[in-house]
Amino acid sequence: MKNTLFLIFVVAIFFSACSDLDVLPNDQLTTGSISIASDGIINVTNGNYALFKDGAEFNGIVDDNNCYLRQYFQMIDFAGDDIVCGQKTEDPLYYSFTYTHSASQSNSRFFWYVSYKITNGANTIIEFLEAKSSLTDDEKQLLGENYFLRAFVNFNLVRFYGKGYNNGDPSSNLGVILRRASGEDGQKARATVQEVYDVVLEDALHAADLMNQSRGKEYASKEAAWALLSRVYLFMEDYTNTIKYADKVINSGRFTLETSETYPSYFANALSSNETIWAIAFSASDNRGKFGSIASMIYSNGNSGWGEEFATYGYINLLQEHPQDVRASYIDTVFADDGTIQKKNGLEMFFITKFSFQDGDPNLSSPVLFRLAEMYLNRAEAYAHQNNETDALKNINEIRKNRGLADAQINSVPAGKTLLQVVLEERRLELAFEGHRFYDLIRNKKEINRTYWGYHIVGLTIGDINLSTQPSGADNLVIDWDDPRVLYYIPIDEIIANKLCVQN
Amino acid sequence: MKKILTFFLLLLSWQAFTQVTGVVVDETDMPMIGANILIQGTSKGTTTDVDGKFSIQAAPSDSLVFDYIGYKTEKRWVGNQSLFHVKMMPDVLVISDVVVMGYSSKTKTEISSAVAVLNNEELNDVMANDVGSLLQGKVSGVQVLESSGEPGSGAEIRIRGISTIKPGNAEPLFVVDGIIGGTFDPNDVESITVLKDAGATGMYGARANKGVIVVTTKKAKSEKVAFEFRSSYGYNTPDHGNIQMMSSQEFYDDFSAELYRDKETHEIDKIKFYLDYPQGLKSKNWGLVDRVFKPAPLQKYYLAASGKSKKFGYYVSGTYYDEVGTFRNTGNKKINVRVNTDLQLTSRVNLRNNINISSSKGTSYDYLDMYYSYLGVPWDNPFNADGTPKYVDGHTQNWWSRDHINPLHSIDNSDYSYKGIDVNYDLVLGVRLNSWLKFTTSNRMNFATDKNHRFVSKVAAGTFHDKGFVSESSNMYYGVTSTNLFRLEQKFGQHNLDGLIGGEFDRSYWEGLNLEGKGIPEGFSVPEVASSEFKIGGGHDKSIFRSFISQANYNFDHTYFLTASYRIDASSNFPANSRVAHFPSISASWILNKMSFLEDNKTINSLKLRGSFGVTGDPEIGASRFLGLYALNTQYSNRPAATPYQLANPNLTWERTNQYNLGIDVGLYKDRIDLQFDFYNNVTKDLLILASQPLSQGFEYRWENSGQVTNRGFEIGLSTMNVKRKHLTWSTTFNIAKNNNELAGFDAPIFTTLSGISQVYRNGGEIYTFMLPKWLGVDTETGAPQWEKIERNANGDIISRSVTNNYTEAAPQEVGSALPKFSGGLSSNLTYRGVTLFANMAYQYGNKIYNFTRVFMDNDGHEPYYNNMKPKSDWKRWERPGDVATHPSMQNNALSKEPSSRYLEDGSFIKIRTINLSYKLPNRWASRLKLQDITIGLSGNNLFTFTQFWGQDPEVTLVSQNWSMPGVSDFKYPNNKRYMFNLNLKF
Repeated sequence: MKNTLFLIFVVAIFFSACSDLDVLPNDQLTTGSISIASDGIINVTNGNYALFKDGAEFNGIVDDNNCYLRQYFQMIDFAGDDIVCGQKTEDPLYYSFTYTHSASQSNSRFFWYVSYKITNGANTIIEFLEAKSSLTDDEKQLLGENYFLRAFVNFNLVRFYGKGYNNGDPSSNLGVILRRASGEDGQKARATVQEVYDVVLEDALHAADLMNQSRGKEYASKEAAWALLSRVYLFMEDYTNTIKYADKVINSGRFTLETSETYPSYFANALSSNETIWAIAFSASDNRGKFGSIASMIYSNGNSGWGEEFATYGYINLLQEHPQDVRASYIDTVFADDGTIQKKNGLEMFFITKFSFQDGDPNLSSPVLFRLAEMYLNRAEAYAHQNNETDALKNINEIRKNRGLADAQINSVPAGKTLLQVVLEERRLELAFEGHRFYDLIRNKKEINRTYWGYHIVGLTIGDINLSTQPSGADNLVIDWDDPRVLYYIPIDEIIANKLCVQN
Repeated sequence: MKKILTFFLLLLSWQAFTQVTGVVVDETDMPMIGANILIQGTSKGTTTDVDGKFSIQAAPSDSLVFDYIGYKTEKRWVGNQSLFHVKMMPDVLVISDVVVMGYSSKTKTEISSAVAVLNNEELNDVMANDVGSLLQGKVSGVQVLESSGEPGSGAEIRIRGISTIKPGNAEPLFVVDGIIGGTFDPNDVESITVLKDAGATGMYGARANKGVIVVTTKKAKSEKVAFEFRSSYGYNTPDHGNIQMMSSQEFYDDFSAELYRDKETHEIDKIKFYLDYPQGLKSKNWGLVDRVFKPAPLQKYYLAASGKSKKFGYYVSGTYYDEVGTFRNTGNKKINVRVNTDLQLTSRVNLRNNINISSSKGTSYDYLDMYYSYLGVPWDNPFNADGTPKYVDGHTQNWWSRDHINPLHSIDNSDYSYKGIDVNYDLVLGVRLNSWLKFTTSNRMNFATDKNHRFVSKVAAGTFHDKGFVSESSNMYYGVTSTNLFRLEQKFGQHNLDGLIGGEFDRSYWEGLNLEGKGIPEGFSVPEVASSEFKIGGGHDKSIFRSFISQANYNFDHTYFLTASYRIDASSNFPANSRVAHFPSISASWILNKMSFLEDNKTINSLKLRGSFGVTGDPEIGASRFLGLYALNTQYSNRPAATPYQLANPNLTWERTNQYNLGIDVGLYKDRIDLQFDFYNNVTKDLLILASQPLSQGFEYRWENSGQVTNRGFEIGLSTMNVKRKHLTWSTTFNIAKNNNELAGFDAPIFTTLSGISQVYRNGGEIYTFMLPKWLGVDTETGAPQWEKIERNANGDIISRSVTNNYTEAAPQEVGSALPKFSGGLSSNLTYRGVTLFANMAYQYGNKIYNFTRVFMDNDGHEPYYNNMKPKSDWKRWERPGDVATHPSMQNNALSKEPSSRYLEDGSFIKIRTINLSYKLPNRWASRLKLQDITIGLSGNNLFTFTQFWGQDPEVTLVSQNWSMPGVSDFKYPNNKRYMFNLNLKF
């Protein structure tokens, strides 16, 4: 019996003996395999670009509402005076209209999260390539692109969550957390605005040096890094450098402005346009449709989108000063059966189509992040601040010439306006809905005036609206350029998990 | 003299040691192996060998007692006989007392742990196709929620509270016919054993944290070939709970007009109102709910045959189930086939083959179609002149409903169908090695595949208009489970010892494929015809378990029982250094009624004390959660792209629970009253949590082991036979369970948020605790909403509470949990001659439900183009200063529908689950039709729900996953009120 029992025990152990329990995922690279796989570095770099367009999983779900660029454009332009809210909504984009931000609004949390995910991916590549003793030209290009992406997301972060560079003392105002190593401790304090700008400049300059290839408009390039530098210096009120880097882009010979004839089809074909410096490529399979596209909130063909936000009268009126202005082609006015402008919730419907019609699809576009027109207009603004009217107007007229306004050139500052006003109006006309107008106002210390009917007025019901009058008495109709709420709260997740991070 | 005495003694002893031999057979004349033979009044005995033979030295005056579990004890006087042929007959009473515990079976007396058993009759009183629904209200400590009325959906089952906070599955482990996993039809169930404490579940070690449900399917009972036919036919009607949408007139007068109440005069500005809202609207009554939801038929048929011979037993059954959904274009059909056979190959070897094939197909729905069906404005006529659903889009004029969608048209021009088949084959081979040792190998091969089809026609309005959309996904699951055990049994006088030892491995695989495309010509819906925007996806995954299993059972004189088990599990889900875990358990019981002081007690006829301790675990987080990963799940410009996906945690390991249970079982008045009481304390440690990381690292979480949750509570089950006469019996069973849940050991509170609604996990708190601003009603002077503002000092202590109109000042606070304070059920069974009236009730008390549907349908005018629900009798909207109101003025409603305790309601309910009236026709009628039994009956399910919850049905999901938060009532497929006619035949 003893022997039998022993035998049983041995056999039982055999039955339960560990076999191969190592299971590796088949759709993921492990940290160790990135550098081993022949294209691991390219894949992760592509991933950093993809994060601008993807709805990465967040809070356990992939929410169509969540996309870096959707949040980027909405959180800037919905807080400005070019777009009016036509319907109260559960989507946190609403809080940009109302300025009732909170630390827990999911669009801001997602934007912050994905920004740092891109940074993490970029850091991984930067660390790996910087550790190599020598780099091929291809590797230098990829390294430069990752430096560029890190600079770009950090610059956007510091604008969303930190005070403007020219608002108070940037060396004591808090910016955002700087992550420059992939494995560092989670607990880290916010850097100052100055420190963030310094790092952005350092990365962008380094990126411009490293990149010497042109891989297509959907990838970063030397000129994209210069364009970023021009934009950053403008925010820093360093007009010499603004002009210097805009010049470099314009003089590179790689870009030309779309003409009055081609401009109406520009945004649908941004990737193949010579005006584009850098755009994020959305292919047909990236169509985020009604629930997640950038277009769906501001345009609908009746089916394609929610179509709940419209261009403001302020913008429409400016546009209508010159009926021949081809920039009007990006406004689609909706008419009712009786020929009047159709209303939704009491507001007239002016749809915006800058993010539509790539391949004819109402929800598809490859959003432009840098284009040549901005370089002219950066120069114009810089010259205006330098009181160089001639050069400022020259740059403006270069734009107007190509937008159907060859016969409406501005040769001198009209009476009752300042040169800066003229520049800012042109910037508004040209760059509307592309994430500029709100910062143009703040950067130039101008209030954001939203004294018009719309659901940015908290508690408004349709019965209150009377289009023949102006609303009054509501909160937040006029926002000062230095209002604390022109920046967003640091997301609650960061505050809870990172004890060193201070709230705005 | 001394010599003579010695001689006599020798003679006597010679006589005493007569060699007696024989053979023991069962009722089918098969040899019985391991039957116990004892000389009465002594501890001398033996057991039969593999041929059923035995030999023993006995005196002619001795009596031999033949004993075998499940058989009637036989007694033979030795006398002059030296060769015995003993035929043993099954003890019917005892058989019904055998409880299948998974790896082993025990009699009720032997059990030392907390288990509950339900047999076929107790289960099939509810007409359902899901086992969860059959358990509701019947077992103490088992909370069952039918969180959806969608045809084919299953109920949620929670045993003894919630022991995990990670997202995903909190369902108990199912064990079918002794093997982990498996599928079955409820009609094929012989019995269900719910294992509640570690004394019983410890055997399932790593996977037993959420309790274990052991299902045993039927097998042949008698040599006579028996047929059974059951049929049910009836109707479902949708149960919208307390939701009734407003009629056209109500929506006009009570809701829309309020939008025009003047801020100064507090009167409705009728001129402006009538201008914007023509009065003719009032008479356009096109309420959608009754057009989308309709009563729908339901039928189920079951036919089974069984029989057995000496060497072969079989049970064959087929079930057909067809439920049409109450929501337009939904439904579910199922076919289940089971073949169970038992083969006695030789006297030592038996073989069991069980095959179960279940297939289903059906049509599901799109959430938004459900949503818009409730919220559509009743003034919109959804039909064309010819009665077909009308096409509506953003350009449609004179259409009031928000978002310009006609759900009837969307539903009719889309298809969300699915189908699946699941095949299980069990092969169990038992080999009797000798009188005390048996080897069994239990193996299951499982193969399942399913396919989902989503199609939207190009003619449908919405995002796919003019394009059409099709997506198909198919999944294949397969795996093998093999359990190999030695079973030992020994008896030394009054000491009875048995046990098992062996190993198990379990491999499961998944392979999935999905694709989608657009550009679908009208009239077609297969992927082949798609012409643009193609996407493909798919993946493979696998999971492997290896286990060592052992158990020992000892009892002394069937009075003192002791069971100990030890299991070791290794799982591929964890890194090499922490993948092995040990799960010991021990339980003991004492049958007090065998003690002399209770032996003659007239009141107490049985009394048992039980106690157990054990460790169980939970590894369910999926594969590779410990690795640092970059997911190749996207592309950029059509080139492969990898994004940072997961932070590494090389020390990740199991959740494990230390479970303690104390119980007492009392039988009074010849078991007319049967009382079970259990107290338990389960501490789950090393919780697998998604620990929040600073988002600035680029990651939200990291899987970590942290914190603990304690579930402590008691359960009472009381069965009474109230009346027991010749033609009249009335019995009731009642159960109640109270569970306290407490979290501890977290470094920092963990928050989860969905749609702005937050729950908090913090030390000292309860799982699923809502964290919301506290609603303080309406300002009587201004009609504005009010919340509670809390001010705290530096230590976080509250220093003041005040009222605020500013939502952003109202900090979230804990306002209640989604877990009930107690829950249970009551059932009553009254039989008079052939007539049986059965009723069953389930209840729960003290849980909170966030009524998310009210955010839309009780929206204070924030959404002027959504229909609203009829208000509860005590709701009142503020109209003018001085009004004491529950609802704010529509002119002063800022942020009133933001998340707050306003929508958090009492979720307690009492539900009459079943009323079942059946009549068993007199035998002479049946025999005239050459049948054995005929039973006809009427039944109703979910007929009455008593609740204060003012939304859909209060059975709200407790699943924490993706789109669902526990205790949040979102638009769900409504539950059903069910009316059935039943006919059962036996022949």
